[in-house]
Amino acid sequence: MTRLLQATINGVMLGGFYAVVALGFSLVWGVLGVINLAHGELVMLGAYITWVMSRDYGWEPFLAAIVVAPVMFVFGYVLQRVLINRVIDKPHLTSLLVTYGLAIIIGNAVKLKYDATPRSVTTALRGFWPLGDDITVPVTKFWVLVSALVLMTSLWAFLRWTRLGASIRAASQNREAAKIVGIEIGRVYALTFALGAVLAGFAGLLASPIQPIFPLMGPVLTLKSFVIVAMAGLGRIDGVFYGGILLGLVEVYAATYVPEVGTNVGVISSFVLLVAVLVLRPQGLFRGLKAAR
Amino acid sequence: MHTRRSRRGLSATLAIMTFTGATVATGSAIATTEPAAGECAGTIRFGAAVSETGRYEREGKDTREGYQLWEEWVNGEYGGIKVGDECYNAEVIYYDDESDADRVANLTERLITEDEVDFLLGPYASDLTMGASAIAEQHGVIMVEGNGASEAIFERGFKNVFGVLTPGGDYTKSALEALAAAGAETVVIAYEDAAFPTSVAEGAERWAEEFGLEVLATESYPEGVTDVSAIMTNFRDLDPDVFIGGGHFNDALLFVRGAEELGFEPDAMIITVGPSNPDFVAELGDSANGVIGPTQWEREMTWEDEYFGTAEEYAARYEEAYGHEPTYQAAESTATALTLQIAIEQAGSIETDAVRQALLDLDVTTFYGPINFDDTGKNAAKPMGFIQIQDGEIRLVGPAEVADAELQYPLGE
Repeated sequence: MTRLLQATINGVMLGGFYAVVALGFSLVWGVLGVINLAHGELVMLGAYITWVMSRDYGWEPFLAAIVVAPVMFVFGYVLQRVLINRVIDKPHLTSLLVTYGLAIIIGNAVKLKYDATPRSVTTALRGFWPLGDDITVPVTKFWVLVSALVLMTSLWAFLRWTRLGASIRAASQNREAAKIVGIEIGRVYALTFALGAVLAGFAGLLASPIQPIFPLMGPVLTLKSFVIVAMAGLGRIDGVFYGGILLGLVEVYAATYVPEVGTNVGVISSFVLLVAVLVLRPQGLFRGLKAAR
Repeated sequence: MHTRRSRRGLSATLAIMTFTGATVATGSAIATTEPAAGECAGTIRFGAAVSETGRYEREGKDTREGYQLWEEWVNGEYGGIKVGDECYNAEVIYYDDESDADRVANLTERLITEDEVDFLLGPYASDLTMGASAIAEQHGVIMVEGNGASEAIFERGFKNVFGVLTPGGDYTKSALEALAAAGAETVVIAYEDAAFPTSVAEGAERWAEEFGLEVLATESYPEGVTDVSAIMTNFRDLDPDVFIGGGHFNDALLFVRGAEELGFEPDAMIITVGPSNPDFVAELGDSANGVIGPTQWEREMTWEDEYFGTAEEYAARYEEAYGHEPTYQAAESTATALTLQIAIEQAGSIETDAVRQALLDLDVTTFYGPINFDDTGKNAAKPMGFIQIQDGEIRLVGPAEVADAELQYPLGE
């Protein structure tokens, strides 16, 4: 019983992190219709910004958010205007190729600058809280989970209640109609992509104290995002949260209860889960998987 | 992800093929050093295909510098290799194997058939050594290597492959022996699901048993793992004395962080890859303290020979030549060439059969450690060193006969 409880704690913590990683990916896919294969690299950039602030300036990693946010916003905005905007109306393959190329460029540029050595960030918020016999709550991951919930709630409130949020939702629902009612679609797309980049950057920040960061860490994260969003349904924030938690729990349960090769089974099971969901509920686990344009 | 990876691999392959074409067309050996003009009777030719580009670029450079240091020393200061009453200059012919297993095989073939080398020095890394040594065996040319620790290299019944470094299965041997002597009784093992970490883990199981330690659990995990909380939780509940883990550098970081956040506090943590690298302390800070890591060679070791002197003197000589500290890859490469030289001198001949017998009979101690090959070509004599991070410093704590610091066990006391 204590083992199950500990595994559940571990799984929820991991899932909360996965959810943040998938958040920006889901937003960009849902609104722009672009599957951003460079998403994991944006996460990696956020992680490296955090690492630099922590290593060179002695900042508490969670505080690096005030640097990560503007840098990633500007980077995302410019990237969309210069590159992504040109491929939005093209067939899917074009945007896949462009973002894939982008992923390679970003990953290798960071590798040239900081070499391939895995890095780690030390936060003051670490250690564990004991919770009875043989049950502990990891402090860092707890705050990562809290940050994840705050980010998701803020994004949800932003899309729900602000004028720009309404424009973004309109653009995602019907592009032509949004144009007709006077929404500047190019600007909305650029802001959405920039917002997605900020969310990816935050995910990187949250990754930096809990797992090693390295220039080529991106592809795995993009893949997890894809699994979560495909399960969750496009553009659904609550779906992303549940999808992330589900993935985290499945991985950790398998790793905990399958002897000797558990962690291998855990990683594989996320893909089994994806296939199962796509076969049994192709519309996604949580209401409709919107047709991507 | 797999399609993405293979696509990346394909483009890299294309680039390499283009580059390879150019190299072959010009037929250029990358770097050959002219033997010093001396009074020696002739020249013994050595061939080495070592990575100058690709993923082993850094370690390949260390390997090459290790060979070059020996070559300059043997031709200059030492006055040539002594064979009977004659002396011979050494000439090493290098090629860039581009960190590619096919390329290293082709180049080894070329060294044997076109350059007609007398002996081969190994490439960097186990996978390339596997391929290169197969070609050497096929042509009956002796290869001494110092950068392939995988036991698989020596399990093929080859007659011409000799490795001076401690093989993977013995990586944890001396640390486990010391911990057992200090009172440890139980062990848990986590290893990456790949050839080399698996042979390290199997060796750890074997040695744990040998030294009377009980193995409570073993767990494997895939390459590129990002979460080990389940492994650490299961291990914590078993409350072992010793944790052994490892595969890649990033796993090392993950294990230390994972143990910390779950309250898993074994009396000793052995992490097989990472701790002897200064970056390990830089990334983990205080959390790195107490971690034990195996090491092939450190300059603090008290081994010495009549050729390069002590390990420290070797390191000083290397620093003077190249302006940076020698890695263990550099030291084992110099030791590789030195071992072959000693065998040739003891054989009093450059005939393959005589030198092979001399290698099998060899029992010497070098600045790199003792060298004594078993029938399979493994160096059965050299114990693995191990370091422990103490107050943020990498300290050599074992084996006791060459260490310069005391092992701290158990931790937290």
